[in-house]
Formats: sequence, structure tokens, C-alpha cells
Amino acid sequence: MIAELGAFCLVLALVLSVVQAGLCGVGGGRRLPVLAGAGEGAALAAFLALLAAFGCLIWAFVTSDFSVSNVAANSHTQKPMLYRVAGAWGSHEGSMLLWCLTLTGYGAATAVFGRGLRLGLRSYALSAQGVLGVLFLAYTAFASNPFTRVFPAPVEGRSLNPLLQDPALAFHPPFLYAGYVGFSVVFSFAVAALIDGRLDSAWARWVRPWTLAAWSLLTVGIGLGAFWAYYELGWGGWWFWDPVENASFMPWLVGAALLHSAIVTERRGALTGWTVFLALAAFVFSMLGAFLVRSGVLTSVHAFAVDPTRGVMLLSILGVTAGAGFILFAWRAQTLAPGGAFAPVSRESAIVLNNILLSAATATVLLGTLYPLIREATGGETVSVGPPYFNLTFTPLLILAFIILPAGPLLAWKRGDAKGVAQRLGLAAAIAAGCAVLAVVLISPRHAVASAGLGVGVWLICGAAVEIAERIKLFKAPGAEVKRRLTGLPRGAWGTTLAHAGLGVFVLGAVYETTWKVEAAEALTQGGRLSLGAYEVRLDSVAVHDGPNYLAERGVVRVTRDGAAVCTAQPERRFYPAGGQTTSEVALCLKGVDDLYIVLGERRAGPNGEPAWLVRAYFNPWVRLIFLGPLMMALGGLVSLSDRRLRFAAPAKAEGAKA
Amino acid sequence: MIAFWIAAAAVSALAAALVLRGAARPAPAGDETLSLHKRQLAEIDELAERGLLAEGEVRSARTEAARRLLSAADEAATATRQGGRRTALIVAGIAPLAAVVIYVLVGAPDQPDQPYAKRIAEWRASDPRSLEPDAIAAVLEAAAKEKPNDPEPLRNLAILKSALDDAPGAQAALRRALRVAPDRVDLWTALGEAFVLEARGQINDDAVRAFDEAVKRDPKALTPRYYLGRGRILKGEAAEGLTLWRGLLPDIPAGDPRRTVLEGEIAAVARDGRLPMPEPEAAQPQVSPADIQGMVDGLAARLKEQPDDPEGWVRLVRAYAVLGDAAKRDATLAEARARYKDQPQVLDALTAAAEVPR
Repeated sequence: MIAELGAFCLVLALVLSVVQAGLCGVGGGRRLPVLAGAGEGAALAAFLALLAAFGCLIWAFVTSDFSVSNVAANSHTQKPMLYRVAGAWGSHEGSMLLWCLTLTGYGAATAVFGRGLRLGLRSYALSAQGVLGVLFLAYTAFASNPFTRVFPAPVEGRSLNPLLQDPALAFHPPFLYAGYVGFSVVFSFAVAALIDGRLDSAWARWVRPWTLAAWSLLTVGIGLGAFWAYYELGWGGWWFWDPVENASFMPWLVGAALLHSAIVTERRGALTGWTVFLALAAFVFSMLGAFLVRSGVLTSVHAFAVDPTRGVMLLSILGVTAGAGFILFAWRAQTLAPGGAFAPVSRESAIVLNNILLSAATATVLLGTLYPLIREATGGETVSVGPPYFNLTFTPLLILAFIILPAGPLLAWKRGDAKGVAQRLGLAAAIAAGCAVLAVVLISPRHAVASAGLGVGVWLICGAAVEIAERIKLFKAPGAEVKRRLTGLPRGAWGTTLAHAGLGVFVLGAVYETTWKVEAAEALTQGGRLSLGAYEVRLDSVAVHDGPNYLAERGVVRVTRDGAAVCTAQPERRFYPAGGQTTSEVALCLKGVDDLYIVLGERRAGPNGEPAWLVRAYFNPWVRLIFLGPLMMALGGLVSLSDRRLRFAAPAKAEGAKA
Repeated sequence: MIAFWIAAAAVSALAAALVLRGAARPAPAGDETLSLHKRQLAEIDELAERGLLAEGEVRSARTEAARRLLSAADEAATATRQGGRRTALIVAGIAPLAAVVIYVLVGAPDQPDQPYAKRIAEWRASDPRSLEPDAIAAVLEAAAKEKPNDPEPLRNLAILKSALDDAPGAQAALRRALRVAPDRVDLWTALGEAFVLEARGQINDDAVRAFDEAVKRDPKALTPRYYLGRGRILKGEAAEGLTLWRGLLPDIPAGDPRRTVLEGEIAAVARDGRLPMPEPEAAQPQVSPADIQGMVDGLAARLKEQPDDPEGWVRLVRAYAVLGDAAKRDATLAEARARYKDQPQVLDALTAAAEVPR
């Protein structure tokens, strides 16, 4: 009954989305608040119905109901409870349901938080969101239904890919989807404003919190994914320029550009067309990611649906949605009123430059991701586009963006004072250059380019600090004044600073880890040792360990430095009998922001015939900064989001409080 | 099934109620544009008051916001209209019906859930012979979970897994059983055999460890000692292996068929220094029933001439039993019993041989 109730709720949500799209569209077009209100009710109901459906799917996974074919294909009775719950979204069908749940969730949120908006914008946006819901729900219900039953039910499930059996599965996809799908609201509002014909600063102001929320959640999702890849795949990398990673990175870059251009549109009424374009593009890139992952055009850990038919359907959804959005844009583009003018040196210009660089960077990533696919599809040989391409194209663009970044927030709107800004940033530049020089001198082996990279990281952090110092007139005003300014700073300013500094922290970690990591690998017998830079790694023993659904060889590895114990690590090599797969469980020793990363490899015969294990050890300096940076950026986004200037639902309250 | 339709009706009613509630409480048809611009002006004042905006900036910001406020006021909201209640009501009524129609196309309303716990209970209640091996394994697994201190279900599970050629599964089950009963020699032996099964006949370190554990607990145990000897021979230490095997012989009861096999293997290893290679099946000459009859007759003739060969008698009895020659079997059995009436071990072996199933 529960499984069938889930199927019914899924279908009900589909019908409710049709109702939402229809009633909100008609209600907005004919100025009938009653119909629009009914459509909003449908949006809320669709979300609740999908929440119930999702609960039913989790129930089927928890009780191991193998008559549900998705459970049979992706679960196993021996699987620990956490992965049974999280396994609900570990497969194509289940994750499509999560996608739809998030989509309707954002629709419901728009209905609830958007009650203060004018009828036309609100209704058209909810109608557009409803159309998106119809497309994705129809796809899920008819082509990827997670509640499809199978009779007779198999005795045992086929279990989940062991690489996915990790606590990160519980968090990485939900955050990522909350980010991807969050851009659907932005898309819907762009469509609504284009239909309504009123693209103004009010629109931009409404779009900004949604962009911030989606972008922050996407940042967390990508950061978690990078961390997961880092410790799960067993060779210490955190970013591979894998097409799937690129697919998540493109909406992030576009989202970052949109965040900034929306400020200009809101403050100055300028760049409206460009902001609308980015608002459409962000979600189109999200859908492109969904298509790449699910169509079978890629081979990857993420490519869980290798089914060309489904791929064609998703491509059709992508084509229809993007086509409709951009045609509407082309149709309305001429009617957009020109916004306020600004000088070449101004905050607006800096943001335009930021947008140009981010868009160009997105284009290089898009090219690098699609070129091999296009070439393969047109009968060319298989090529792979890897780090060398991205280092030559993407990295220089971003470095340029990083260099101009600290100047942006210091420039005034309309007409900035280039000389003043240069003076104010002088100290930051001096510190950054000093750090780069010190790095060349002190860190061995010497590496000039990487040292300059460290300088860029320091430049970003110091630049962010200078911005706050300027705002509170540090060292320029009396203490009481500084304190008053400090407490009076809007949260948006803190968010900006935190995000920009987080970027600097990330750059520091990425440059340092990539350049100065140390690795060593050797086949060790029990008691054998290998040296890793200043550390000595000793394999004390290896014992068999029975996991809940796997057998493992667990090594006890003692790490010492100059004879002093540093840590004891327990890397594992696991065998999952259900699928016959083997995985490595990396052991991490956290030392401040550095990691000692130890992998137990396969067993082989030692020199005297005794068993030996291939032990690989890495010293990854500053690697934690790579994951800390994005967290700071996401936190910055959320702090900005909490700024009351962005709160739309309660304008009356805010004004009332002031009066 | 009734429960399902009741639940579906409840969910539908809730959804319809939300749609109607939305229709009954439409959002105020306000226009946030004006209030937004007013707030923007207020904010500029506030920032200026706190000294966060430069003097010139305040003026230009205020002018621009005011200009936008005026233009927004010009295109202020178009009037809204009443009506639409009946449409909302109709849609709220039709939507659940549409959902039911579509659901019937994709769903299976008459199919109950099949949670694992319920299926196990059904399997346990049914005849094991009607079950698939996987289902039997599931039942044993459930029994093991129910009685965590009883190694028996796990031992049976291991036997089943071995029969299904799932060596890792058998090993896992035996390891769990040994955690409960670490002194059970048969479990250690079975674990060793599971390793041998996995290694396709090779006796690796894991297997040796398991057999050692078994011998430690029962120095007379036959199977682990046999495998330990075999392991040494496979490693090329034929002499050590033979010593172990020869030590094993006195402990095998006479007439135990394993004895014959072992003796054959000892002879082969003593001759070649290694275990006989299993001959490829195709290479084996086809043996006709006549040939077999001939061999049996040869054995009978030899025993007439050299009657003091208890194993020969046992073999002959078994041969007649296998060939289905009851009369000759019984005659041979009687003759041999008379000859070895004071050797109970041989008598037992003879009785066992006569009962060889066809």
C-alpha cells in the first residue's frame, strides 16, 4: 500500500502542477486573484504530495521492499540503515524524485514568500515554475518512475555501488539539487518578467535572494562533492575536470555572474537584459548537467542512467525550456529600457568586467566539456580534454578576475576614483607581494609560479579585509565611531567580505596542495615502513574485519615524525560481496590544515613470500583550505541572504518597526 | 487495497482543500514596486545618517531613486477583477479524478507491499523444498539474527553458500558462527574449506590458519590434518606432507572410503613427489559395463587366491552393490563376514559397503 501510495502521490503532484501552471497563468493574465490563489494552493499541495511520495520511497528502502524495482536494483538487506535511507536518492529514478521534490519545494516557497509581490509577476512566475514541474514530473512518472513494481519480487536486492555507500551520499546530492533547482525560481521569474513586460529593479531585487540561496547551496554541494572524491577515490585528487564536475561548475559560474549583475540591475536599473539572460542561462546549465549525467553520453561515477531514450527525453525538456526562455528573451529584448549610465571606472564597470570574465570562463568549460562529445558523435576519434586545456584557458581568465576583484567593492557607483582605490589597496598589494617573495625564498622546492599563486590568494584575503576596514574607517576615525560603524554594517557587506576572503582561502589551498604535495608508495609487509617527506609511515599489522555488508582488510598504520608519534591510521580495503566490488577506505590524519592521506592497496607476495600490501601515502599540505574556502563562500552567501534588505515577505513589518 | 484507496482519497481531499484555501484567501493584490522604492529611499537616508554614504553620493542616489519611484507610480498595478471561484471549485474537483485515472495507468493498486520482514515470515511458514536457495539463505539469516548465540543457522547458511559456490558468503557466515562458538572444530574446518573453495583447490595462508585452529582444538581431527598435509605437498614440501598424511592413516577407521583415496594419493606422491594431476575428462577412456564386470571378476578371482585382504573384500562387496547384483553381493558379504567375524571394524565397513545406494 505504501509503495502504491507513493506512486499515487507522484501522479497527484503531476496533476497539481498542471493545475498550478494553468490557474496561475490564467489568473495572472486575466487579473483574477482567486484563480491565481488557487494555483498557489496547488503549488503548495504539489510539494506536499511529493514530500509524501518521497517518504513512501524511503519507507520502501528502509523496509527492503524488493517488489519496488528501484529498491531491488539499488538496495540490499545487509546495507546499513543510513545508506538505505540515502539510497533512496542514490539511483537515477530516486534522484529524479528528489529533483522534482526540490522543484516543487521552490514553487511552494515562491507561493508562500511571494505574497507581497504584484499579481502579474507572482502568477506568471508560479505558472512557469508549474510548467517546469509538469515537464520533470511527467518524465519521472512515465519514463523514470521510482515506484515501478516487479513481480515476483527478487529475494535479495542488487545493492548500491559501494563507492556511493558513504555518509556524504546523505548530504552531497540534496545540497547539489537544492542549488541546481534553486535556479529554476530565477528562471521562472525571468520568464514571468519577460511576459509581464516589466523588468525593473524590483524584479532584480526579488531575484537576488533566490540566486544567493541557490548559489550558496550549490557551493556547499560542489564542495562536499570535491571532498568526497578526495577521500573516496583513493588517489588524493579533489577536482578532475570530469565532465560531470564541469556540469555542476557551469551553473555555479553563471550563478556567480548573476549574483553580481543583479546588484547592478537593482541599484542602477542597468544591465537588465544581461541579468535576465544570465537568469535564464543559470537554470539551462543546471538542466544541461542533468542531461549529461543521465543520458549515458558520459562514463562516470555519476552517470547512473545509461539509457539513450531517457537522454533524448531530457534533451527535449532542455530544448523546449531553454528555447522558450530565450525566444521570449529575444522577443522582449528591444523593449528593455536603458538603465542608469556609468563611467568606465565605477563599481558597475568592475562588475561588468567580472561578468565578462566569468562568462568567458564558463564558455571555456562548456567547450572543454562538450567538444569531446561532439567529436565522438560526429565520428571523430575519442579525445579527452583534461587539466592542460583548462590550465591554459580557464585559469588565466580566473586569475585576471581575482586580480581586479578587491577593487570592485571599493569603487563607488556611477563614477569611481581609480587613484583612491589604488592607494587604499596599496597595503594589501604590498602584503601579497611580500608573501609571494617569502614563498619563493622559504618553501622548497622553489616554484615561482606557485608562489605568485599564493600571492594572489593573500591579495584576495587582504583585499576583503581592506574593504571592511574602509567601511568602518579603521585607523581613520575615533574608536567609538569605528565601533558604531562596525555594528551598523549591513549583513550584505559581511557576506561579500566573507565570500571574497573564502575565495582567497580556496586559492591558497589549491595552489599549495597542488604544488607541494608529497607522495610515496611501496609494498610493505607487516612491520614494514616507508618515508614520506619528514614523516615515517609504518604498517603495524593487517587484520580481517567484518563490516555490516562487506569484508575488509584493515591495516594499522603508525605515522611518526622524528620518532614522535603523529597518529595511528586505519585504512581499509573492502570487498562488497553483494556486487563483487572492491573499494579502498582512505585513512586521513588531520594535522591542522594538512592531511596525511593513507591508502591500503591490494595484497601481494612480499620478497620472502610473506604477504605484503601496497601502501600509498600522501602528505597534502593546506588541503583543508580547499574545502574551507567554499564553505566560507557559501556562508557569505547565507549571511547576505539574512540581510533584512533582501527580505521581501515582511516589508510592512520592517517599516512598522521603524515608525 | 481498501486501505490504499482510503489513503489516496484522503491525500486527494487534502490537495483539493489546499487549492480551495488558496482560492478563498488570495494574496493582497498589492504592488511591491512602490513600497520597494519607498524602502530604498528610506535606506539611503538611514545609510546617510550613519555616515556610510558620501555627501555627493547621497544626493545622486536620492534623485535616482525618486525618479524611479515616479516612473513606477506611472505604471502602477492594473486593477484586478473578481470571479473565478466556480473555475477553482471545478478544477479542485477534477484534479484528484484525473490523478486517479493516470495512476491506474502506471500503478498497481491491488499489489500489497512486500517488506522483507513479512516475506521472511512467509518463507519460514512454508515448505523449505518449495523455496529458492536465496530464500532459504534469507530464512537462515533471519534465524541467525533471532538467536545470536546459536551458531547452527550460520553453519547451515555457510553450507548453502558453499553449495551455491559463494565462497565469500560462506566465509562471512562461518566467521560469524565462530564468534559465537570459537571452539567448534567443524566450523574452523568448514572455514578452511571455504577458503580452499575460493582458491579453486589451492590451500592459501587463510586456509592454513583456519585448519591450524581446528587441529589446535582437536589434534585427531581428520579433515583439517588432511588439508594441512595437502597444503605442504602443494607447496612442494612433499616429505613433510607425506609425514602428516601417514600420521593420519591410523586414525581413519578401516573401511572408511577416504582411507582408500588417501592411500592412493600417498602412493602417488611417494612415487612422483607431487599430487597426481587430475586427468582431463575427455582423455579418460570410456569404460563399458563389460569392462567393469571384467574388473570385478578379476578382483573376485584375486581374492580367491589371496583371501587375506579386508579392503579387497569391502571393495568387492561395494562393487556388487553398485552393479546391483544382490545375490553375489550377499554371498560375498556372508563369506567375508565369516572370515573377519572377530574384526568389528571390518564388519562395519562391509555392512556400510553393502548399503551403497544405487
